[in-house]
Amino acid sequence: MYRSKRLVACLLAAAILPLLAQEDMPPAARGGRGPGGRGGTREFLGLGPAPDAAAAARGEKLYAPSCGFCHGDKARGASGPNLVRSEVVLHDEKGELIGPVVSQGRPDKGMPAFAQFTKDQLYDIAEFLHMQVELVANRGIYRRLNVVTGDAKAGEAYFNGAGGCNACHSPTGDLAHIGSRFQPDQLQTRFIWPGPSLYGGGRASPQKVTVTLPSGETVTGTLKRQDDFNISLYDAQGNYHSWPRDSVKVQIEDKLGAHRDLLAKYTDQDMHNLTAYLVTLK
Amino acid sequence: MKPYSIALLTASLLAAQALDPKLLLQPPTDAWPTYNGDYSGKRFSPLNQIHSTNIDSLTLAWMYRISNVGPQRGVGNPEIKSTPLMVNGILYFTIPDHVWALDARTGEEIWHYGWEDHGGHLVGQRGLGMYGDWLYFMTPDCWFLSLNAKNGKERWRQKIADEKMQYFCTMSPLVVKNHILVGVGGDAMDVPGFLESRDPESGELQWRWNTTPRKGEPGAETWPNPQAMEHGGGMTWMPGTYDPELNLIYWGTGNPNPVFAGQGRPGANLWTASIVALNPDTGKLVWYHQPSPHDTHDWDNVETCILFDGLYKGRQRKLLAQAARNGIFTLLDRTNGESLVTKGYVGVNWMKGIDAKGQPIPDPAKEPKVDGSLVNTPGAGGTNWPPPSFDPETRLFYVNGKQGYSVTYLTDDDPEPQGYGGSGGGGLNEPILEAIDYQTGNIAWKHVYPSGGFGNAFPGILTTAGKLLFTGDPVGNLIAYDPDNGKPLWHLHLNSMVSNGPSTFLLDGKQYLIVGAGDTLWAFKLAGK
Repeated sequence: MYRSKRLVACLLAAAILPLLAQEDMPPAARGGRGPGGRGGTREFLGLGPAPDAAAAARGEKLYAPSCGFCHGDKARGASGPNLVRSEVVLHDEKGELIGPVVSQGRPDKGMPAFAQFTKDQLYDIAEFLHMQVELVANRGIYRRLNVVTGDAKAGEAYFNGAGGCNACHSPTGDLAHIGSRFQPDQLQTRFIWPGPSLYGGGRASPQKVTVTLPSGETVTGTLKRQDDFNISLYDAQGNYHSWPRDSVKVQIEDKLGAHRDLLAKYTDQDMHNLTAYLVTLK
Repeated sequence: MKPYSIALLTASLLAAQALDPKLLLQPPTDAWPTYNGDYSGKRFSPLNQIHSTNIDSLTLAWMYRISNVGPQRGVGNPEIKSTPLMVNGILYFTIPDHVWALDARTGEEIWHYGWEDHGGHLVGQRGLGMYGDWLYFMTPDCWFLSLNAKNGKERWRQKIADEKMQYFCTMSPLVVKNHILVGVGGDAMDVPGFLESRDPESGELQWRWNTTPRKGEPGAETWPNPQAMEHGGGMTWMPGTYDPELNLIYWGTGNPNPVFAGQGRPGANLWTASIVALNPDTGKLVWYHQPSPHDTHDWDNVETCILFDGLYKGRQRKLLAQAARNGIFTLLDRTNGESLVTKGYVGVNWMKGIDAKGQPIPDPAKEPKVDGSLVNTPGAGGTNWPPPSFDPETRLFYVNGKQGYSVTYLTDDDPEPQGYGGSGGGGLNEPILEAIDYQTGNIAWKHVYPSGGFGNAFPGILTTAGKLLFTGDPVGNLIAYDPDNGKPLWHLHLNSMVSNGPSTFLLDGKQYLIVGAGDTLWAFKLAGK
């Protein structure tokens, strides 16, 4: 009973929205839609207008030879100051503050004037800097790097041995071509915990539940909700039922028990090896 | 009416609404005058009219739904995370950019103050501070306002921090003597944290304490260079607690920056992710204890430091207890910061031991990695800001939290990373209510909520002498538990999850229970009262 209660706890967690910031973790590697994506995170953070990508690409070509030597390739600072954390850059919207500093320089601080740039070119340089800010501050666009660092052969051995994955899964059955269907980091997220999680990477699948009434009669269906006080389900005909929790016996199918047990056993190396193996199932 | 009678009338009205500062030194009964109700942070009320023996007759007194705001930028519908103040029959509560005064007897709106959105994060607003006739409020773009409690009119404003640098403000100001203490949030752009004391009459700066050292200062040895510590984070976004006898304020500080990418800031990174004791008159650091040295998991250590006196190994001690986001329960002697208990209340495989000072030693193997690192704590940590409670009758520390697993990634592998530089992803996240024996850190009892999950906003906890523990579950039930064993005694399904810390007070001889759930404030009392 406890096991099934715990399972439902996480299955129903899917409803949680990706909250943000102070209280939160970054929503990693999500697309541009909805809360937590590129635009949503930018709006939440109050970062101002989104950088103009075309201008930023032009600006990079101007920035690199003239500015990069002192301020670094990514504007994170070298002999000159970091511009990503710069007050001028963060207060600028489209070059109105950055432009004059570039063209007039800061002679008192040893920065020469770059009077050769046109107004459009100053805008492009400013947008390049705003893009560097975006890459740092907007965690809605962060991308995971290479997660395929493990040993695929060791992963296959774990799959068929210590991990016991082959008791439920088959590389030629349900997992056929899984390496083509998901990005490697998504694969890793999904096998670590296939149920819903706080920041995406899974979803609630229908859970079969059997409720035994005081009369001994049983009702089977798809779980809708369970809390400390009530349980509800839809039966095979689509009818809704609910009961006070303390008046019935409840059995909930636990499809993820083996995944739960493995969480306490995986080493990071096991996890990386398994990912490396699953990626080969093209 | 003659002029002198107007003056008299005004004086009596002000007296009716003003907060007697002496209330701040007493446990709450006929008022709830600060965020935590009193300076100790216990959120335990000695009131017992609402009792485990009559809880079945708890009934609705009134409800107030926010209907004049609409969705807020980047966060959606209003969510009440503040704990309302109740002073002289009037409730004062907030959401980001908004303040309301309500009649505590009826829920009728007396006034509403709105601040136009000019930036900052609207992630939460914890509430107000009060001193005499004046309320203190922080806006998301870090203006510090004083409002007239009588009518909500602005008295003055002071700028605390620059929202364009990604600072934002959510704290309920803490009033200590003639000091209004205000802190900041902000971890997107590697800005340094600080705590300030401001004058109650003018809002002018009295002192500022930086959460990270500057070049040559003590603590600098825990950072690689001045650049790292001046961009090292350590925010102060939750109100602290205060011991008037020791004249010390206790503050939890936030995680260091860059958040997940620690490779550019080797060292313990003082005084981020720490518990600090400061003198409220000078802002000088008296002692510190760091529960999360060199944090790399976004585990702010801002959770309430609860103060109580109690036995430890047979001797009466002045204690401080905290359940932190990194899964660690800490018990200290609050006179000097001596470590008494350091123990995980959920999984803590990110640490490999405890140092001589009683602080966890982080395991470098469990820092965020490019290919992922599995920790046995849910991504957002074991708990967060929602208020815990300490019940002096059961002598248990209660916290709503989460157990499970997550994988953390390094996404910025530059030697000089910036911003978050990584993320926590996926994993198992089960919501729990735990009762912790403070003397050992052992779990006295644990309730696993059978449904839903906790994000970063979830119900806080109130305990009372009525032998009740009030909190909520993830799916919208307001629940009264038996604090001895976690047995549910009463519940009511609200329109959404309890989203603040419940509070209580006596008014006209009736005990009220106040709970925020989403956009609605609920008030309960006993039927027939």
